[in-house]
Amino acid sequence: MAEVGPAPARRLGLRDVPIWLCGTLLALLWGAPFLWMVSTSLKPAAQVMTPVIEWFPREITFENYAKVFRYPVLTWALNSVIQAVVATGLCVLFGAMAGYALARLPFPGRRALFALFLAVLMIPSEIAVVPLLLAFIKAGLASTYAALILPQIGNVLAVYIFRQYYLTFPKELEEAALVDGAGRFKIFFTIALPLARAPLIATTVILFTLNWNNFLWPLLVTFDESMKTMPVGMAAFAPVVGTHTQLEGYAVAMAAVTILCIPSITLFLLTQRHFIRGIALGGVKG
Amino acid sequence: MRAAGSGWQAEDGGRRDWTGWLFVAFFTLPFLLFNLAPLLFGVVLAFTEWGIIGDPVWVGTANFEQALADPWVANAFWNTFLYACTIVPGVVVLGLAFALFVHQRWPLSTLARTLFFTPNVVSATVIGLVWVWLLDTQFGLVNRYLAFLGIGPIPWLTSGDWSLIGVSIASIWWDLGLAFVLFLAALQDEPQELHEAAAIDGAGRIRRFLHVTLPHLRPTISMVVTLQIIASMRIFSQVYVMTNGAPHGSSQSVIHYIYQTAIVQYRLGYASAVSVLLFLAILVVTLLQRLLLRERAGG
Repeated sequence: MAEVGPAPARRLGLRDVPIWLCGTLLALLWGAPFLWMVSTSLKPAAQVMTPVIEWFPREITFENYAKVFRYPVLTWALNSVIQAVVATGLCVLFGAMAGYALARLPFPGRRALFALFLAVLMIPSEIAVVPLLLAFIKAGLASTYAALILPQIGNVLAVYIFRQYYLTFPKELEEAALVDGAGRFKIFFTIALPLARAPLIATTVILFTLNWNNFLWPLLVTFDESMKTMPVGMAAFAPVVGTHTQLEGYAVAMAAVTILCIPSITLFLLTQRHFIRGIALGGVKG
Repeated sequence: MRAAGSGWQAEDGGRRDWTGWLFVAFFTLPFLLFNLAPLLFGVVLAFTEWGIIGDPVWVGTANFEQALADPWVANAFWNTFLYACTIVPGVVVLGLAFALFVHQRWPLSTLARTLFFTPNVVSATVIGLVWVWLLDTQFGLVNRYLAFLGIGPIPWLTSGDWSLIGVSIASIWWDLGLAFVLFLAALQDEPQELHEAAAIDGAGRIRRFLHVTLPHLRPTISMVVTLQIIASMRIFSQVYVMTNGAPHGSSQSVIHYIYQTAIVQYRLGYASAVSVLLFLAILVVTLLQRLLLRERAGG
């Protein structure tokens, strides 16, 4: 797949300036909610709802962040990290093995298996959330790390990305080792996997982001505060109608979500090229 | 199985090699247990009444009969349809426009690409809370800028007429990144020769877009539309964070209703029946899409 993203900048003709200006302004506007989020989070409570719009805080305070940490945010963060790291790690490793086998190893039933994977990939996981919840409750595993992690391992996306990669993987690299009598597992772990740097980075960051942001399943399966993940725990900062309880005002809510989005945005900015290429290949939401 | 297995024999000279199964077993086991089995179990569950405590009671099609007569189910499906009607065009049109812009590779286009995509990587909680604040009736930025134009104040999230639109705006901001990236990738695969030939023939920018770029993008557009329709049909978390379905169910989606019946009312069998109905709806949409595409390709 071609590089997704701008190559070296092209010269801007005079006729193009109005379109360029509009587009660039639109891009800045698209990012503006993040600026407003951070700006609000740094304002003293009394300066959040001002008669005039103030894009930047008059004085910077961290009291909103201090208020966020009165809630068990660190516990939620730890749960989120454990859940996302373990689920992503296992899914990438097992997905790479499966993708390699489906692309490279002829075994009976492999086409049927891949067709089954693709069929389930098309079905939104939300459909199966109720029976899955009941199964975990009946097994006595609800509100545990096992419940948070296990359903995230079988994400077909990893298999799909690795299979695509290994379909075009040069055979010569493995053949030399095969002649030397190396087994398939040895070849995979010493040659095929270490060389698959691009799909490794892409699937890791995409799956980590998916797991980090996962909402419905952790919401359903965690019953006590101490097992909640960050997105679920912090949703209670929503100052809205309905059955929610408002924990604090907008400034504290913005501090909470600023903390929440730092890991995924940082990871994305660091691996942007791989991330976007993987997304374009897999056609999934980050 | 025979048809599926015919490939390996040709490739492997008739020797049955089971090593591949060892490789796929690690993934396949959790996949079967936690991804495939729940789908099948859900269908069984839909025909029972099963609470958190106690044994299942087989109730036949009672859950389905009840669901089809339930005004809240109809309301949730109607709202989900409306979500798709607002989010899909928004994401497709804006995503395409943004991709065309970034594809020009003018100065700062890397920054623009990053800004257009970034909302896609944050969690629903971030999206929801930021937009609840932006759409606040009295102090939200959106209404305050609209006031300069003499519009409003619009009760985005607090009135039954507007709540669905408020949630849709946040969803477009969130979902756009994927469509944008898919369009950008397709634009970069476009053969340049046709473009240059058309330019030499004196075709202007708009004509080149309509006659060269658009036909090239057609498969990508239909893929993005399909993906986005399905994404909109599973809308839940931003609804939960922003309005929790309120006021009076006016922004409640199907998954949100499933969540409510399962968690608040503990009616797991009934919630499963509604899930099966949603699955059928998604299946119909996917098949319709396939059918329309095949017809277009054939004609």
